[in-house]
Amino acid sequence: MLTVTPQHFLLLSFLLIGIGFLGLLVRRNVLLMLMSLELMLNGINVALLTFSRVGYNLDGGILVFFIMTVAAAEVAVGLALLVALYKKRKTVLSDDMGLLRN
Amino acid sequence: MEAYLRFANDNLWGELWPELSLCLGALIVIGINLFSKSSNFHDRSGNFAILFQFLLLLIHLFDYLLLRHTFDRHSFSGMIKHGMHEDIMRSFFLLSSLIVSILAQSFLRVRKLRIGEFHHLTMVATAGLMILCQTQNFILFFVALETVALCFYPLVAYNRECAKGLEAGIKYLIFGALSSALLLFGIVLLYGVGANPEAWGAITPTVGQVDGFSFSALYHLLSENPNHLLLKAGVVLIISGIAFKIGAAPFQIWVPDVYHGAPMPVTAFLAVSSKAAGFFVLLNLVNGPFAGMSDFLLPLLGFVATFTIFFGNLAACSQKNLKRMLGLSGVAHAGYLMVAVMASMILPGSSDRAVWILFFYLFTYLLASFAVFGIMGIANVSDDAEHEFSDYEDLAKKKPWAAFSLVVGIGSLAGIPPLAGFIGKLLLFSVAFETKLYFSLTAMVIGVVISIYYYFGWLREICFHPRPVFEDDEPSHDSWLGSENSGLIKTVILSLVVASIVLGIWQGSIGDAF
Repeated sequence: MLTVTPQHFLLLSFLLIGIGFLGLLVRRNVLLMLMSLELMLNGINVALLTFSRVGYNLDGGILVFFIMTVAAAEVAVGLALLVALYKKRKTVLSDDMGLLRN
Repeated sequence: MEAYLRFANDNLWGELWPELSLCLGALIVIGINLFSKSSNFHDRSGNFAILFQFLLLLIHLFDYLLLRHTFDRHSFSGMIKHGMHEDIMRSFFLLSSLIVSILAQSFLRVRKLRIGEFHHLTMVATAGLMILCQTQNFILFFVALETVALCFYPLVAYNRECAKGLEAGIKYLIFGALSSALLLFGIVLLYGVGANPEAWGAITPTVGQVDGFSFSALYHLLSENPNHLLLKAGVVLIISGIAFKIGAAPFQIWVPDVYHGAPMPVTAFLAVSSKAAGFFVLLNLVNGPFAGMSDFLLPLLGFVATFTIFFGNLAACSQKNLKRMLGLSGVAHAGYLMVAVMASMILPGSSDRAVWILFFYLFTYLLASFAVFGIMGIANVSDDAEHEFSDYEDLAKKKPWAAFSLVVGIGSLAGIPPLAGFIGKLLLFSVAFETKLYFSLTAMVIGVVISIYYYFGWLREICFHPRPVFEDDEPSHDSWLGSENSGLIKTVILSLVVASIVLGIWQGSIGDAF
């Protein structure tokens, strides 16, 4: 019988963070980059709750609420910027940006 | 009831009055903007914001210098520290946000952008920066950091009609959010080990309570377990998150692009306030919770500082766009300041000479940067993002006061003798020598010499007429003919310039370090 230990949850969270980080590097669509960022933050939430459970300490659970709020706010700003840019340039691909260069 | 009263008495809300009134002022500004009927770009709310911040700065200085000297107190159950350094940084941020508001007022009016929201965001960001510098707890640290970041994203993309600004905003958002995520991951690792050290193979510290977020508890934990893998990873992740914010290599990729696309007052705000906050936080962390790991951190920071100095200076040499050049020279300045942080790690105590030198350097950087960015903001170039060297050709004849302010500002950034920037660099060199950081000292000297090259290229354009003029030349666009001449901006910039010169000759008690 396999029991699920805190280490398994940590492994899951590290995987989520790793996938998010990789997605941020590999993806060329800004929308998907924002989703990858969300994935990273959610992976961090899983790690935080695991640590909180192992430590019998509720502080970690409190930080999770702050992280969720911040993630929502960040995506709201990000989408607003993206919509404004899309109206100007008709693209959401990072390859098509490049007005800023020397 | 009794049990809660103990916590309530510990919450010194009165000590946070500058932040609270700044937030209140920000709400009033947005309220005035909301309920006034006239057109988009009328500036009553902006005038109110400037007056409000000016009064706040005056009262804060009065309060801090004359009324209260009870420093080094903790409140909110140890979450916030009220100390002398923290109060200096609060004055620094108030001053910088006041100058940004003044510079922005006419900038926004000329470009017909909305005024109230800009001041609102600036004031909220400043309140966040002030809290960020006083916090002693990673939860509050994260929340304050994100408050600042979320105000900066819309500020960078403030001109929604300009695709460059929007692109800069999105780049800043992606990199800023990534750095926050890395920093948060580091915080989580420290918290995880701190909440239950035995479960992760660390030694429980004998002194202090078990708390994974408070700086003092983490100090004990880290000094007992300097070689624990999770803790080391956490510390490195937190440092790299902060390195993103201050634009230290290898996390400096966003700096030139964001500086390039952002409106001029926001570029100045980013260059001064955001960077100063990053450095103060870094200083707090390496002298506070991470002090037990200094053997591990010193070589790391030394590598980062040297890399930053060389990268910033060499990359700035090849830039044709002035905003990008200033951004990369700001990266180089971050490298110099990093050396001061390393020196303060070596010197004992958390209020040593290196800390005061860092403060002095930050203030001289504020004076010089705002003078330079202020003059660039009043130039009437067709595209705010594209300031080229040729726009400044022969400025000394066209607008002598602007040319003089620019020359003093650039000279102070470069570190030319009678100006404040020179004294700042000299103090940095002396403290680096004293703490035997010879390698970083060499890098700094080489960096300063390289920086003379690109700063003086600009000075040459301002003071002389380097290109020959032919009879049949197309008359080029003169950026200084229609440029605005607001009396307030002129006064502010000239007083910054005077302060730069005076601080170069007389430094008060800081000068005793010689």
